[in-house]
Amino acid sequence: MSSDTQVATELVGRSPGQLMWRRFRRDRVGVVSGCVVLFFFAVGILAPVISWLYGKDPQTRYGQIEPGLLNEFGYPVKPNGGIDGEFWFGLEPFLGRDVLTQLVYGIRTSLLIALAVTVLATLTAILLGITAGYLGGKADFLISRFIDLLMAFPNQLFFVAFLPIVTTLFVDPREETPTYVRVVSIIVVLWVLGWMTLGRILRGATMALREREFVEAAKVSGASPWRIIRKELLPNVVSPMLVQATYMLPNFVTTAAALSFLGVGLVEPTPDWGRMFAIGAEVYRADLTYMFFPGVAMVVFVVAFNLLGDSVRDAFDPKTNR
Amino acid sequence: MSERPQRRARLAGAAVALTGALLLSACSSGGGGGPEGEGSNGGGTEGAETLEAVTFADAEASTGPAEEVPDATPGGTVHVLQETSPSHLDPGQIYSAAESNIAKLMQRGLTAVRMDNDGEYSVVGDLATDSGTPSDDGRTWTYTLKEDIHFSDGSPITSADVRHSVERTFAPFLTYGPTFLQQWLANSGGAEYRELLPEGPYEGDHLPDSVLETPDERTVVFHFEEPQADLPYALAMVGYALVPEDGDTREAYDQEPLASGPYVIEEFRPDRSMTLVRNEHWDPATDPARNAYPDRYEITFGHTTDDSTQRLMADNGDDRYALTFNNGVDPGNAPEVSSNAEYQERLAQGYQPFVATMAINAERVTDLKVRQAIAYALPLNGVLNAYGGAFGGEYAGGLISPLLPGYEEGYDPYGKLANPQGDAERARELLEEADAVGYELNYVHHTATEDARAAVAVEDALEEAGFVVNRSEVPQTSYYDTIGIVDNGYDIYRSNWGHDWLSSATVIPPQFDGRQIQDGANNYSHVDDERINSEIDRIRQITDPAEAATEWFELNKYIVEDVLTQVPLYYYKMNVLHGSLIGGADFNDDLGTVDMHRIYVIQDEG
Repeated sequence: MSSDTQVATELVGRSPGQLMWRRFRRDRVGVVSGCVVLFFFAVGILAPVISWLYGKDPQTRYGQIEPGLLNEFGYPVKPNGGIDGEFWFGLEPFLGRDVLTQLVYGIRTSLLIALAVTVLATLTAILLGITAGYLGGKADFLISRFIDLLMAFPNQLFFVAFLPIVTTLFVDPREETPTYVRVVSIIVVLWVLGWMTLGRILRGATMALREREFVEAAKVSGASPWRIIRKELLPNVVSPMLVQATYMLPNFVTTAAALSFLGVGLVEPTPDWGRMFAIGAEVYRADLTYMFFPGVAMVVFVVAFNLLGDSVRDAFDPKTNR
Repeated sequence: MSERPQRRARLAGAAVALTGALLLSACSSGGGGGPEGEGSNGGGTEGAETLEAVTFADAEASTGPAEEVPDATPGGTVHVLQETSPSHLDPGQIYSAAESNIAKLMQRGLTAVRMDNDGEYSVVGDLATDSGTPSDDGRTWTYTLKEDIHFSDGSPITSADVRHSVERTFAPFLTYGPTFLQQWLANSGGAEYRELLPEGPYEGDHLPDSVLETPDERTVVFHFEEPQADLPYALAMVGYALVPEDGDTREAYDQEPLASGPYVIEEFRPDRSMTLVRNEHWDPATDPARNAYPDRYEITFGHTTDDSTQRLMADNGDDRYALTFNNGVDPGNAPEVSSNAEYQERLAQGYQPFVATMAINAERVTDLKVRQAIAYALPLNGVLNAYGGAFGGEYAGGLISPLLPGYEEGYDPYGKLANPQGDAERARELLEEADAVGYELNYVHHTATEDARAAVAVEDALEEAGFVVNRSEVPQTSYYDTIGIVDNGYDIYRSNWGHDWLSSATVIPPQFDGRQIQDGANNYSHVDDERINSEIDRIRQITDPAEAATEWFELNKYIVEDVLTQVPLYYYKMNVLHGSLIGGADFNDDLGTVDMHRIYVIQDEG
């Protein structure tokens, strides 16, 4: 019976997607890291629910409003950063806010930014990379030089220098800068310098595909370039695209965190993952615990996402299996 | 003085590396200590004692050498860790605390403030034989120079040098120094004093004898149109230290000044280091204010407060002979320093002259009830926590520093000391009475971490009380320029003020005289109240310092209770560590830091 079914299933035709999914499911590391990544996204999406269930919010300055929680230096009175049944991850020094909700909302903002940048960068890379690769000639030359130009920019320096400028472009300095303007400017700046690697990969892949028979055949049969790109080329570059995107996302999370750490990212009072590191670095001598939860969360998230990227690549392309 | 202390702990280091270390050791002990608000003023550390009065010393007390510090021994090298390198060496350009603390080692004026072994303060004659002889109700002050006083090039100091030093402060290139004496001599406010002697002494013009008289080589007479009871204090400022008539190289004097005090510059590398060695032409027998025990000072710049605190805590090698004048203990290290007895005995603590306030723009927020609502709502703990907690300051009830004579302890009309977290309910009631719930406040702060953090608490608490806060930020460097504009468009902003000498006359008039409202002036709240103006004029006429001090404090009460254009937040404190082989590191209330004239090196045994 079992041998029969096996024979039967082997005869079933599968799309590359189904094959990939089957291979991925067999990879235990991939599944575990995938679950971790999903967990982080769930935390981000469900942040308001978590905050509601837990009964705290990220804005209230508990330590400053209720006497007895912070000492005269603004540090939590209780050991281990003020962890107790009331504040599970402790209290933030100085402002006395709840660390758990700060972290949960911080993850939410970070993931939102990273996801938006990844989507935008991937779309840009597809558009420009495939255009360059498929059209070739002058268009390729222009786009490739443009990519070179952008790649020559020192990233961090550019971010640090341009973020405050971009923000002031949109807002009268006398007015309070709305949070969405800051978020949008971070997304824009990261996006502008974030799509080139993928763009180049896609250009290369497209150039190789362009000369293949099935593309020639489609051309001969009179398909429009748009149709060729959509139906012939895109499905064939999905795997490098997806793999690259899974590497890009944690990268954008850490870059955004680094910007906040340097003080040019999101500002108070928007909860932010990166700023928690800046505070942690400031207070580590007196309150080491504060750094623990955001730090561990960040490490776990980045490692899981990178492992997931590896597994996705392995699943798409079994020949590179180690 | 509007120079404000900067405490800022910016740490380098990668976040990821740190998290790695944390995986290994992720526990920390509790912050410990009592909860906030316990004890008198929320400050766990002891405050300095209130000053009774400062005496103007006579000729006997102004005779050198300075009273010996117990157990002190001369010799050795003292290392000083500072953050900012002085931008000016010309005494006439020196006003800020970081510059004047170093310059006091090199420059002498007619008078000086001395703290004696009992912690009593007096204004002594420094280059002059006494603190000054007033006549004509304080409109005329006569000084006589000591004998055997010389500049570091060996030339004797005469009354011509005093005349020159005073006259050159009118020169257009001297713009950073204090302006009290010039304004008194010219009897004018603002920058109008410059019209008295537009080019300084350099074009052959001099002040007439009716203003400044030098009848012989050793006598100097100041003539003022109004009584100036505070002249001996003003003359003790480094800004009025002497500059020789012959050696004055005008603008170039800022690079290579001569010295009249115990030390001269051997080498100065701006932003890096400065070496001071003994001035062989300084005679201790003429100097009642400086002990000058060390042979040498090695001053290095560019130390963050975090860096200097860590080094002084570790107390290794040369750092055992180190101290700092202006780098307070940073907030990150404060809990450790305060809880460890080893650091306690190497810690000098006291008040700085600065009082932090929240200024309310009186031209825009015209309803007193709304201003009172702001006062009730403001969370003092939120602001002070951001600025270092108990090491950063102590909650303030009034505008007059505890260092000043006349200060009344426990003055607290809005109950802020007991309620540092703010009283949102009381504020909301007041807003409802004024029918102003939802009142929109434009709030500006600067982008430094501390101020941004304080702003979160301020905005949060005000909105809780029923205000709508429109918060914006400007870079720290342009902050005071931004709020100094009369038509600034903002409603509330923090402003700090420190007295220039131990008299409230340097606190109330500059900040609250309604006739002084102009761009860049110090009346940041733009208050123009008839009673304040007339009281200022009246109290200035009072010649008895103790009576004047009481009257100033009464005026402060009127301002805080009935005008309320500045809500007192906290009195700045200073906490400086020193190495284990530094002796005589006593806190000096007049300087707001360790008394550099009394320190000595503890010589190694054997």
